[in-house]
Amino acid sequence: MLGLLLVLPPIFVLILLVLYPALEALRFSLGFVPADNPAYASGLDLVNSDTGSLEVFKKLFASSFFSSNLALTLRVSFVSVALLVLVSYPLALFARFGRGRLAGVARVLYLLPMFVPVVIATYALITFFGDNGWLEAILGTVGIPYHSVIRQEAGIVLGHVWVGVPFAVLMLSSGLDGISNECLEAARDQGANAWVVFWRILLPLNIVPLLIVMTFSFIGVFGSYTVPYMLGPSAPQMLGVSMALNFGAFRQPQQAVAMAVVSFVFCAFAGALYVWSTTRGRKS
Amino acid sequence: MKRFATVLVLGALGLSATILAQGPVKLSFYSSGDVNVKNLWEQNLLPMYQKKNPNVQFDLIFSQSGTGNQATLDRMAAAKKAGAASGIDLLEGPVLEAGEAGLLVAVKSKDISRLSRVEANVLARAKGFGVPYRGSSVVLAYNASKVSKPPKTLEALLEWIQKNPGQFTYNTPDTGGSGNAFVTRVLKLGLETKDATTFESGYEPALINQWDKGFETLKKLAPNLYNGGQYSKNNAETIQLLAKGAINMGPVWSDQGLSALKQGILPENIKLVQINPPFSGGSSYLGVAADSPNKLEALKFLNWVLGEEAQAVIVDKMNGYPGVKIAAMPADVRKKFGTIAKSFSFGFSSKFGADMNRLWYEKIAGTPQPQR
Repeated sequence: MLGLLLVLPPIFVLILLVLYPALEALRFSLGFVPADNPAYASGLDLVNSDTGSLEVFKKLFASSFFSSNLALTLRVSFVSVALLVLVSYPLALFARFGRGRLAGVARVLYLLPMFVPVVIATYALITFFGDNGWLEAILGTVGIPYHSVIRQEAGIVLGHVWVGVPFAVLMLSSGLDGISNECLEAARDQGANAWVVFWRILLPLNIVPLLIVMTFSFIGVFGSYTVPYMLGPSAPQMLGVSMALNFGAFRQPQQAVAMAVVSFVFCAFAGALYVWSTTRGRKS
Repeated sequence: MKRFATVLVLGALGLSATILAQGPVKLSFYSSGDVNVKNLWEQNLLPMYQKKNPNVQFDLIFSQSGTGNQATLDRMAAAKKAGAASGIDLLEGPVLEAGEAGLLVAVKSKDISRLSRVEANVLARAKGFGVPYRGSSVVLAYNASKVSKPPKTLEALLEWIQKNPGQFTYNTPDTGGSGNAFVTRVLKLGLETKDATTFESGYEPALINQWDKGFETLKKLAPNLYNGGQYSKNNAETIQLLAKGAINMGPVWSDQGLSALKQGILPENIKLVQINPPFSGGSSYLGVAADSPNKLEALKFLNWVLGEEAQAVIVDKMNGYPGVKIAAMPADVRKKFGTIAKSFSFGFSSKFGADMNRLWYEKIAGTPQPQR
């Protein structure tokens, strides 16, 4: 009973500030325009319907601008997550099994991006990788031509990998910490080489943290704003940037809200994967 | 005896009235803009005015970039609805919206004698609900050591861009007025004269196809822009690109350009010109709240802001155009704005502007970028 009482305030806040606006947005995207909400009702090209219609979504998916934005968002999300895992796993392994000064330095370094605000980090990336940046200057001294990745798709991926590494490594290495040394030594005694130890023991025992990293990063990248706004091209854009533009500069709140609904559906799939992986982990 | 008492009472009333008039007046001033606007008021204009009028005090409430403007309007509207005082005397920012909602007094030359010095069309833009006290417009900045003959007309500018690939760019129209003014100017190519005012102050979605010609022109321009079709991120990036020498021409705000030249951010070989027909610009307006108990003092202040002394400071500190006609300014000011201070044109209405942003992204930026 007391437990229920304790959990009530957060549930109340959740309903008031998250669930209710989300439902209102969903209704808006289906054509129910709330007259008392000026931010919604003053939009251009509104679809009004008393019974609800999918007209807004039809218009959205018929627009080639939106489909290229969605394709970019999916591409960036998958590539970023894949690269993030490829970069973070070795780092996590090094943090878990590395010995000596170098491992200590690595443990500090991979945490560094966590303490740098994203806006500052993107500025740093622009100064380093951008046109007339440091990298171009360094490569220029040895005569290697360089084409900036900033304001390109690759720039967004670069930003996301940089920003995402600390969380990924922390998550993965804490999972690896949970695997006892005895277990690994026993495997080595049986003659297992490093690859077999990784493939047959570390990876399977550490699969839940890996899935958590992948799903959380996917959701984070999919809905991101700052990194693609700062590092991405003018067009196509990731959905987060496009939503903000539609809501503000284009005065198309209904389209923006419909895009949010579409993003939610995609992220819900990733969320389901996360829920499935954690409950599965608990059972075993 | 009775008469004596009347005289006494009247005398006392008159005395207290004089005391009241001379007593301190606190003007609550809601302003908005960039940091330079805040500094202009706090460090220059308000202290200057107070020195001359020690009985007037100001309570400056500043909204950075106008983010609090809606809250201010809501507050004034709520006060009006409830019949209470809003506590706001002076308003800088959303003067037209506030005026149309009946929250501001209309400014008239019988209250503000210097109103005659203001351009009539600029005053009409805010429907007479505010005094335009400073202005700026978008102009063309170019590198004089690379470009000997800058284009003087829009046609010449478009031709120059095509003939000099990679040397021009503008910012995406939603991120700053300079790129917005360039896009607006090009879109105006296809407008029919009879619909021009609708585009500036009304909304009629059926007219949007008049933009087709302009969008076609912008699309042809894209591959010849900086880096084969890259747009700058905002007003400031265009200035940075000019400063780095990455581009040799671009649209910039007159005040930002002049300030950058003064601070050395832009090298001296960057010059500013206005083309014909001119890029769009805008003015900042000051209005007086309809429910203000200090209307007279507030109007007196507005009259002072239009005077030579205040206008000279605005020109100097903000590098803004004076709010009054250039002809009413001293010779050195006329010289400073010689090549750019022609009257500016106006942009599209906010709804047309929103559509312009959207269509620009769909038709211009949204088309596949040329690969190098």
